Amino acid sequence: MAYSGRQVQFQDISVHLLNPRNLFRVDWWLPIIALSLAVVGWFLMYSAARSTNITYFNRQILFFFLGIAPLALFVCVDYRFFVGIAPLLYTAALALLVVVILFGTSAKGSERWLSLGPFRLQPSEFTKLITVFFLTWYFTKVGKRIKKLHWFLITFGLVAIPIGLILKQPNLGTAACLGPLTMSMLYVAGCRKRHLAMIMIMGMTLLPMLWWQMRDFDPETQTEPRVFFELRHYQKMRIYTYLHPEYDPSGSGWHTLQSRITIGSGGLSGKGYMQGTQTRLNYLPEHHTDFIYSLLAEEFGFVGAVAVIALFLLLLLRGLSFAYDSVDMQGTLIATGVTTIFAFHIFVNIAITTGLLPVTGIPLPFLSYGGSFYMTTMAGIGILLSVRLRKQTHTHTEMYSPIGHVAIYGKKK
Amino acid sequence: MSAKKETDRYEGVENRIQWVGIAIMAAMVLLGIQFWRLQVLSLHEFSRLAESNRVWQKRLASDRGIIYARNGEVIADNRASTDVVIVPGECPVELLDAVCERLEAWLGIDAAELRSKIDAHRSAPFTQLTVKRDVTRADCVRVEENQYALPGVTTVVHPQRRYLYGETAGQLLGYLGEINKAELEQYAEHRYNMGDLIGKDGLERYYESILRGKDGYMLVTKYASGQPQLRTDRAGRPYIARRDTRGHLLFPEGRPVLPQSGEPLHLTLDIALQRHCEELLRGEQGAIVVLDADTGAALALASAPSYDPGVFVNRGMNAERLELLSGKQPNRMSNRCHREVYPPGSLFKIMLAAAALEELVVTSNTKQYCPGHFQIDGKGRRWHCWRRTGHGAMDVVEALAYSCDVYFYNLGLKLGVDRIHFYANLMGLGVPTDIDLPGEQAGLIPHRQWKEKLNADKPVWEQRWYPGETVNLSIGQGAAATTPLQNAVMMACIVNGGYRVRPFLWQGREHLRSEKIFSDTTIETVVKGLQLCVEKGPPAPTGTCHRAQIPGMTIIGKTGTAQVVSLSHLEQYDDAEGIPYHQRHQAWFVAGVLDRTPRLSVCVLIEHGHSGGETAAPVARDVIEYFYATRANVPNMVMATKE
Repeated sequence: MAYSGRQVQFQDISVHLLNPRNLFRVDWWLPIIALSLAVVGWFLMYSAARSTNITYFNRQILFFFLGIAPLALFVCVDYRFFVGIAPLLYTAALALLVVVILFGTSAKGSERWLSLGPFRLQPSEFTKLITVFFLTWYFTKVGKRIKKLHWFLITFGLVAIPIGLILKQPNLGTAACLGPLTMSMLYVAGCRKRHLAMIMIMGMTLLPMLWWQMRDFDPETQTEPRVFFELRHYQKMRIYTYLHPEYDPSGSGWHTLQSRITIGSGGLSGKGYMQGTQTRLNYLPEHHTDFIYSLLAEEFGFVGAVAVIALFLLLLLRGLSFAYDSVDMQGTLIATGVTTIFAFHIFVNIAITTGLLPVTGIPLPFLSYGGSFYMTTMAGIGILLSVRLRKQTHTHTEMYSPIGHVAIYGKKK
Repeated sequence: MSAKKETDRYEGVENRIQWVGIAIMAAMVLLGIQFWRLQVLSLHEFSRLAESNRVWQKRLASDRGIIYARNGEVIADNRASTDVVIVPGECPVELLDAVCERLEAWLGIDAAELRSKIDAHRSAPFTQLTVKRDVTRADCVRVEENQYALPGVTTVVHPQRRYLYGETAGQLLGYLGEINKAELEQYAEHRYNMGDLIGKDGLERYYESILRGKDGYMLVTKYASGQPQLRTDRAGRPYIARRDTRGHLLFPEGRPVLPQSGEPLHLTLDIALQRHCEELLRGEQGAIVVLDADTGAALALASAPSYDPGVFVNRGMNAERLELLSGKQPNRMSNRCHREVYPPGSLFKIMLAAAALEELVVTSNTKQYCPGHFQIDGKGRRWHCWRRTGHGAMDVVEALAYSCDVYFYNLGLKLGVDRIHFYANLMGLGVPTDIDLPGEQAGLIPHRQWKEKLNADKPVWEQRWYPGETVNLSIGQGAAATTPLQNAVMMACIVNGGYRVRPFLWQGREHLRSEKIFSDTTIETVVKGLQLCVEKGPPAPTGTCHRAQIPGMTIIGKTGTAQVVSLSHLEQYDDAEGIPYHQRHQAWFVAGVLDRTPRLSVCVLIEHGHSGGETAAPVARDVIEYFYATRANVPNMVMATKE
């Protein structure tokens, strides 16, 4: 056994010098798909920024190039190193989440951040990636014992803390992301299917509770939550407008309705690039951030919308194939987790724009405007590449990376 | 093969990963199906909606709350006002210049300015741009009749503020103006839009959150011409019209959110008394404050010269508006009741006497001889009594009645600056009264720390506080600065038996009252002195403010004559008439009425009125007489309380 007792995993870190030939071992398909999505994103952003503010376009290009830094970091450093220090990262993330609740500034009553000079630090953003590493650390520690019910349930205890802190901010979107992430990683980690089914059924029972909360909801009257788990007025409002989109035309109902009109009027082949009337005339708010897919669907029609969905699907399947090919459990879990984060963002964002889900702020990878999430996206791509790069090397003392060898696991015994 | 490690994969993990992949594919296919449904199956319906831009959001402007005076008189309400607006996107680009020129000819606006405004909104062509606010009925009809020549130009009706009493209480009400960037950020959660009118001063600003209504919204079906309309009834309340400007029937889609009017604001202000006070101040610069001494309710806060807030909302008053905002002296925008500070002069003696009695520095029997002048420890600089011949031996009651300076020089030195400062602040002098009006001045009662801080970069001897400064402060001169409102609050404290009240204008405001500051004996003695002050001899000798006396009413009062320049400087002029206006003294008078309900506290300030007893006291007498005389005619005039 490589590790035993309380031995700390990251004690034997050694960094080897740059080895340029390892650069050629990097998978090329994933970067190509990612780059083509980024280019699609720039084209859309130019169209969106023309009717609002052209700096969105310039900045979006800048974000991509800034994002190469976290990408390179995760490609160069072995992912097992991050798994090793995952408990530390997890603790730090929790601390930052507490700090942001206490001292953070917020706008529009949602998402909080810490102001660090010109930068805005959104801890909830990178909490997603840290959760992936931390769960991987936990699952490799637990191993086969995950089949036992209490080890299975402890997983939810570990994830519940960041979810609770993020909900407190309040940031429903990011918190909701951690749920499917945990489920898919648990599944791949080898938990019992009946345990998972049990949790899902328990989740289903939330629906009657939601109904109980919404049963005498009146959008006109602001009421304070009577019980601690009761939703806030604006949260109920979102569910209400999802069910009755024609209500509250000034708020989220307007978004849903206009987004559907925008998409629907695009037709099979679209109105043509930069010809979208709905977005041009500012009928659809937020069309450069959360609702950018409506702009794509309006200007490029069904063909364009489905083509980009196919491109996203390629990205996700490629990421999942790394999990499939990886020989060690850590790589498998990490690739699954990161792919699930992408899948969640892509599915939920597009489902919102098409009116399948109620409106909440979930950005779309590569397409939505926003620096923080762009960094997370690029980091995620980097992690996937890192898993691929080191897929055959678990038995070797040497591991390949563009800057040579970063061995993190303990000495062979 | 090496031994199995815990990082190795278990059997069957590939199978599970495949299932995750299948789930992802299913989700993406679901999205594809949704796009098919929206874009291919319902294309006809959605493109019809989008093509005509049929559905759009119409903002329904709300009206501001009505302001009522004490007896239910409406001071400010709303009327219907018509704006001419242009929607550039509805006008062919080639015609824009012609339309602008026509509008210049008919409405008298600047065509070039309008054109640049249109150009600035090129990226959002379907915004309503205001061409001219509040047009006359004739202009409105002319625009409506010439619709064929003015594509994109329409009229919209919305509620507009109206001030029914004109200049009366103008400064109190404040005025409305377009919201600026800073205010947009300040009130971010209230959903203001650029171009909204918000309270900029006075009550309109202080109670903006009460007065402002909540705008409504509705989704309307828009036609190629025609504008959906929000109309107002005669009272200025908005409602949604059933037909647009062209007479098309409107189909509001979904449920409109109706605008909500602002809450009414009931004031404690007695508008008749306010008008009378402003009448009395006509031609002067000054202020009259009338408070209910027991609660702090403001019955009148007159300040002259004043302005009509309607100037800021009515049509065709640009010249007046510019003149007001230009800051020309005398400043008509500044409410002298609480925004301007003056040395309190002899009014300060009331506070000094009360503090000294409370601190047992003197008793009601302590006598002091006034030879007409005063020196600290019998040497150094000589301070004079206002009466050069001196008052002789007198106790505190007489000293108050004849306003003997020498008596109070001694009293001030015995009390010391720290206790003077403490009691002055306790009674409301030199601290904000927290009245519900914006921009209140705190005034200043000088003290040691203040001087130290002021002269921090100067030599140490200039930071020290000297007894001579205490002497100056004792008669309310030097750096002491108070507002008329603060002095009225001070007087109210004497009238109501030793409580400091918080003055207020809105009836709903919480009545705040301090703990009892002065014992009954102290108040009794001070009241005796202030009563003697008003009495007219014989048999009693004539007090300094006998002109305020009203037979059959127990009035207490005190004059104040605050110097602007030194007395010796004024000796060069032969008589009071010859002194230049700006060198004349500030004339103060505070009065209290003890044996009527409500008990009043009145403060009168006439800028450069030269003599409190001669100028200000008769004004106060008039105010008190008027108030109780009109009160007798209105039987149901009980103190308003919060419902």
